[in-house]
Amino acid sequence: MHGMTSYFIRRLLLVPITFICITLLVYTVIRLAPGGPIEQAKLQMQQARASEGGGGAGSADLALPQEAIDQLKRYYKLDKSIPVGYLIWLGLYPDEDKGGFSGIIQGDFGTSYRFSDPVLDTIISKFPISIYFGLIGYLLTWIICIPLGIKKALKHRSLFDTGSSMVVFMGYSVPGFVAALILMMLFATDLVWKIFPLGGFRSENWDDMWAAGEYWWCIKDQVHHTVIPIIGYVMGGFATMTILMKNSLLDNLGADYVRTAFAKGLTERRVIYVHALRNSLIPLCVGIGHAIGLMLAGSFLIEKTCNIPGMGLLGYMSLVGRDYPVLMGIVVIAVSLRLVGNILSDIILAIVDPRVRFS
Amino acid sequence: MDFLFTLLQVAVVLFLGYLLAHKVFPKIVVRVGRLLGFRMRATPITQKRLRRFKQIRRGYWSFVAITTLFATSLFLEMLVNHRALAIYYNGKLAFPAIAEWMDDVVVFLKITPFNKKSDFGQIGESEVDYGLFEKYSEDPSVLRKEVEAKKAELATERSAHEANPPGADAKNFEKRKWEREGRRLDKHDAQVKQMEANLEVFEAGSAWCIMPIYPHSPQSLRHEIQDPPPNHPSTSRGIPAGTDVSGRDLVPLMLYGFRLSILFAIAVAFVGYAIGVVIGGMQGYYGGWVDILSQRFVEIWGSIPFLFVIMILASLIQPTFAMLVVMLIVLRSWLGITYYVRGEFYREKSKDYVQAAVGAGVSDWKIITKHILPNALVPVVTFAPFGIVAYISTLVSLDYLGFGLPPGTPSWGALLRQGLENVKFYPHLLVVPTLAMAATLYCVVMIGEAVREAFDPKVFSRLR
Repeated sequence: MHGMTSYFIRRLLLVPITFICITLLVYTVIRLAPGGPIEQAKLQMQQARASEGGGGAGSADLALPQEAIDQLKRYYKLDKSIPVGYLIWLGLYPDEDKGGFSGIIQGDFGTSYRFSDPVLDTIISKFPISIYFGLIGYLLTWIICIPLGIKKALKHRSLFDTGSSMVVFMGYSVPGFVAALILMMLFATDLVWKIFPLGGFRSENWDDMWAAGEYWWCIKDQVHHTVIPIIGYVMGGFATMTILMKNSLLDNLGADYVRTAFAKGLTERRVIYVHALRNSLIPLCVGIGHAIGLMLAGSFLIEKTCNIPGMGLLGYMSLVGRDYPVLMGIVVIAVSLRLVGNILSDIILAIVDPRVRFS
Repeated sequence: MDFLFTLLQVAVVLFLGYLLAHKVFPKIVVRVGRLLGFRMRATPITQKRLRRFKQIRRGYWSFVAITTLFATSLFLEMLVNHRALAIYYNGKLAFPAIAEWMDDVVVFLKITPFNKKSDFGQIGESEVDYGLFEKYSEDPSVLRKEVEAKKAELATERSAHEANPPGADAKNFEKRKWEREGRRLDKHDAQVKQMEANLEVFEAGSAWCIMPIYPHSPQSLRHEIQDPPPNHPSTSRGIPAGTDVSGRDLVPLMLYGFRLSILFAIAVAFVGYAIGVVIGGMQGYYGGWVDILSQRFVEIWGSIPFLFVIMILASLIQPTFAMLVVMLIVLRSWLGITYYVRGEFYREKSKDYVQAAVGAGVSDWKIITKHILPNALVPVVTFAPFGIVAYISTLVSLDYLGFGLPPGTPSWGALLRQGLENVKFYPHLLVVPTLAMAATLYCVVMIGEAVREAFDPKVFSRLR
């Protein structure tokens, strides 16, 4: 186990380095970018003046007074250089305004420009939605793809195999959000059959109904709102998972130990479902860790399309609204999830497959 | 009859595209390769793989379809354009569509396809309305009717104008207004004279033009359709796929979007893979510290949430086509392939034949290019189709979110966004780009499956 331990220690050591590299990169890009909070304040000022109808006011009048700009710069920490600003954000350099270290390390993600709420609270409030879709989607993928993959492997090159391959690849070649769009067009408008709602996480009066004890209605409503986005979430992974399952089982069925098992006189059922299947599930287990990291990746498009107020939509909105503290917060969460996911994958693989040796 | 003729034209063009993609282009590649000193002869293994690829019919036909369409689409400006291929008027000859094609294809050349109206039998200084020109040249009586209508209108206006001149006691501004009206009518008289002169040219038959097969551009608006856009598809009105919210025809949008997407994906995939092969090869061949350090770098770089970073960059600066290609190459496309090439180089390097070559004093460069690289290219070839699918999807996603190519570019994603906004009343804005994209991607996936099976066949032996 010595090699393994040192491997994991090395992996863990790489985590903070990766984290710092990526956040520093994003921070630098954001700081160098035009259209930051100061420009926004100037723009707001100008619009306010213009709507007051101050005719004849020169451009000098329209500009923000210098001390106000300085104040804003100080408030948004734009008066610091990029490295210092980054260290303050990280929490390794004292923040004068807050009197001491206060950054990511201390758990202070800053304050949203737009809503003046603490960033961490905003992001955490979106967690349940992302986890809800991520978990259901992942379970659904497993429940459907594993039996399908097994059946495809057992009936390799049959009509069922080719036919289901074509369907699965059809799903693979349409991005999930496009599929959600098409489903919305078909089943959420009056065009064909209006059965599902047109976007949203749940109905607006959901909380009231829940409080009123209408649980059955609430569950139905939630399911109705879930169907279309969840199809969009899982569609991309479907093909990969099914084909992975199929190929993995095929590999194992051709292996020598299966031949031995048959030679011992075991039944076909036992050989396939006890011996071969267990080994062929190993590559799929590795995916569990990655899935955690990927939970966020596809959700931008689906959440924008179906108007679901999860992490993806939050990221999109903060990007459009130039809400950089929230943006940085989401980058932190996304990168952390991915790093944790990768290590988790390795650990799972090491647990389920004793043959694997990392070095 | 007209429809059949168009169909024939399309068939001929596609056949030429097929010839270009499958007969001419491979020959050019072989010639260039020989000039560069490669043998350019397939090894028996490669020949076997190619034969196997051809036997997988679904994949092979998808390959033929996609390459033919792409080769044809390189000449789209001459096939689907609102500008005429050739236009002749009274001794003046111009080739605006071909000029536009040259302008787009030959990068350093600047040719303007602009022809002004007054040079080609129309009134004004803006660009010729080629559709109208075609109508006139086919049937000059259309112009004659217009001239006569305008003449009659002018005559009534003139008589009304002369019937009530301002009296002697009229105010100054009234007199000026009357004079101005007179000058306006004079100007129109001159225009009518010009039109009559033009009419003579058209009637004499010394004006003709050849229009492309589908005479509309992705940028040109379909003004002649009276209803406010978007318009539903309707073959009888000449919009087989409808128009978008600003009145652009969806057929050219889809076709130009196809070319753009494929070009984008090919550029990202191939440049990225080239870089990935070089880096992965160096890691695997030299090993040691080079390998350890660069491998850590690859791991860190691969953890970047690339779509997010591209979106941030794109929200700050409006990216062009080339910028998006570079961003995607730098952030993503070179990464994945390095793992495989590195592994391949490691494996091949330890084999006896390479060690023998090293022992015989063959140079590193020669060992890499002659011995190891051909083997290491197998994962590149099998990955390329799936990479192309991924990068087309990425471009569509970015355009859909509004962080992609500049507005006005013919792209599928931008149209999907319109589809989302009009999902209730104009479903064709959603259906048309989805069909185009799904068909393209499905073909590429089929190619990928076939290539994978041809290059890496697994013979699954099963008991029972």
